[in-house]
Amino acid sequence: MHEWDFAATLADMDLLLLGLWNTIQVFVLALAFGVPLGLGLALGRMSRTPVLSQLCSFVIEFFRTTPPLVQLFWFFFALPILISVQMTPFVASVLTFSIQSSAFFAEIFRGGINSIDKGQWEAAKAIGMTRKASLRRIILPQAVKRMIPAFAERSIELLKTTTLISTVSYADLMFQANELASKTFRPLEVYTVVAVMYFFLILVFSQITILLEYRLAKSGEGTMR
Amino acid sequence: MNHNWNFASVFAYWEVLAVGLWGTLVLFVICTGLGLSGGLIMGMLRYSKSRWVNYPARLYVEVFRNTPVLVQIIWFFFALPVLTGIEVTPFLAAILGITLNTIAFSAEVFRGGIQSIEREQWEAGKAIGMSYGQTMRRVILPQALKRMLPPLTSRGIEVFKMSTLASVVAYPETLQQAKLIASYEYNPIEAYTVVALIFFVVLLPMVQLTYVLERRFGKSDA
Repeated sequence: MHEWDFAATLADMDLLLLGLWNTIQVFVLALAFGVPLGLGLALGRMSRTPVLSQLCSFVIEFFRTTPPLVQLFWFFFALPILISVQMTPFVASVLTFSIQSSAFFAEIFRGGINSIDKGQWEAAKAIGMTRKASLRRIILPQAVKRMIPAFAERSIELLKTTTLISTVSYADLMFQANELASKTFRPLEVYTVVAVMYFFLILVFSQITILLEYRLAKSGEGTMR
Repeated sequence: MNHNWNFASVFAYWEVLAVGLWGTLVLFVICTGLGLSGGLIMGMLRYSKSRWVNYPARLYVEVFRNTPVLVQIIWFFFALPVLTGIEVTPFLAAILGITLNTIAFSAEVFRGGIQSIEREQWEAGKAIGMSYGQTMRRVILPQALKRMLPPLTSRGIEVFKMSTLASVVAYPETLQQAKLIASYEYNPIEAYTVVALIFFVVLLPMVQLTYVLERRFGKSDA
């Protein structure tokens, strides 16, 4: 039977915490770029210009149907050759996950906007608002409320997907764990600690979501799905 | 932007890619089969009224839903052998990680589907003398399955994409084989583009299928 010994892992906890910090950085940046980009893609897909609509649909479907790991490899190994720029693991990660999550966010935005009653558009038009103004002032504020649970769920997915960046040697939590495991020869303890760290990070996040959903349900705002 | 695209250098290794595709397919079939059937059982355990059944099932679901699959695969590959003394192959680690993850996610789909069936159906089943198991099998599940079809198809798509993670432990699936080609021929652009296109072509019809299923079964009981 294996003798558990967490001493070596805990002694190098600062390495893991640094990895956690790097993970959170990529996560936050990918969210910050991914959400506006997702809104843009959603509006593009719903646009009445066929070319724009088809282009946005293609981008969304392409990034939804290809594995994130393949995308990451493409952006890290292939893109730099194609446009001859230096690509760091950090830039490649943020780029990949911004675009990848934007495709999923776009579908959430589209679902949310479509879920708003047609009468709202007509009412806005009746008091003389343009399409743009009614979208910004009437439709989106209502739609965003309904989208929050789906958003949160997608963000959790994103957080879990960031572990992939360890494969291009970005020093995220997973990468630091690999380093520490080979340094201490204690893979069982290291990976168990890391799994627990991810578990609590995501648990906190999902509990906030549940709380939010509960409050929205209470305030009479139906949740999507 | 003056790159000379040379896809011939990828297709010259089509046998290598074919091995990868086969590997992906094997992972997909095993993990979806075991994952969904395990998910059905886990979903029913989650639905149980007994705390002794319900709580452990819930713990399982939360643990596997709240940790990244990559961590799970790596844990099974590097940590499990230390714990049990059994040698874990890349194949086994990938199967374990992806299947256990799929069980957890599909369990929630099954539970939601079962819960969505009205109470009266249970009562009606009881009224004509059916046991719990019979009502579940003959009355509840057939109705619930229809509603669960769209989310379950999405799960299948997720599993197909997740199979690329097996490359991290060097299991020869599509991405791993492309990596190999890229390192022989120094053609990462073409190799990874081909892989992306393969996944796109295979999964796009499946995604379209979920849209159709959602429209047909999503809301009404057609």
